[in-house]
Amino acid sequence: MRPATLLFRVAVAGRSMEPTFEDGDWLLVRQLRRPPRAGELVVATDPREPARLLVKRVRSVTGDRVIVEGDHPDPARSTDSRQFGPIAAAAIVGRPLLRYAPLHRFGLVR
Amino acid sequence: MNPRSLIAPRLVAHAHCDIPCGIYDPTAAKVAADTVAKMVEKIAGSTGGEEASRNTFIRSVAVKEEHAQICKKELLILWTDYFKPEHLEKYPKLHDTFWKAAKLCSKNKQNVDAQAAADLQAAVKEIAEIFWATKK
Repeated sequence: MRPATLLFRVAVAGRSMEPTFEDGDWLLVRQLRRPPRAGELVVATDPREPARLLVKRVRSVTGDRVIVEGDHPDPARSTDSRQFGPIAAAAIVGRPLLRYAPLHRFGLVR
Repeated sequence: MNPRSLIAPRLVAHAHCDIPCGIYDPTAAKVAADTVAKMVEKIAGSTGGEEASRNTFIRSVAVKEEHAQICKKELLILWTDYFKPEHLEKYPKLHDTFWKAAKLCSKNKQNVDAQAAADLQAAVKEIAEIFWATKK
């Protein structure tokens, strides 16, 4: 699934990106049309279920193969490339820019 | 249309683990603490040197050990993954309560002590009460 607009909003569900994102955070995401870079936050389609979006961080990029992982310090708390393997670069739909809710944590994200 | 629904995202980006994240429950710790207490009771009540009795004794010790460890693990998950700084503000004794409860798990492994088992049950109950209060 690929959003139609250059900027789109997503709600984070789950805790695998803590402490960067918390469950229920609202993010502004920009479509990513260039190859992803290591260390970047990304929104990507779930390789196991293409209608579903994931939010993860790029661990490494090798050609078209992108390793994504959650930020949670406990690996058991994130389902990511450590389970489902690398995802295709084309599966990456965007890059979160800004958290706009909750307001007390409003700000750019990285 | 309220303003909130105007700015609310229409898409969800999952930051999940397959073990459903965000599902925390102190019940597992409670069951483990209750099991420890039950085993302490069984150990104290097991007398006689015949094989069946010795077998029960040894199994009770093993189950006590195992469930004290399960209790500790479950408590640590709640402590490190569920509770957040804002909870600590509201419950300043939170860290101390968890620390003591975790130590009671160890004490119950080291000893056969009905009082330590009861203390562990009480500590887990206190944590469960805080947990459920944060869910309101």
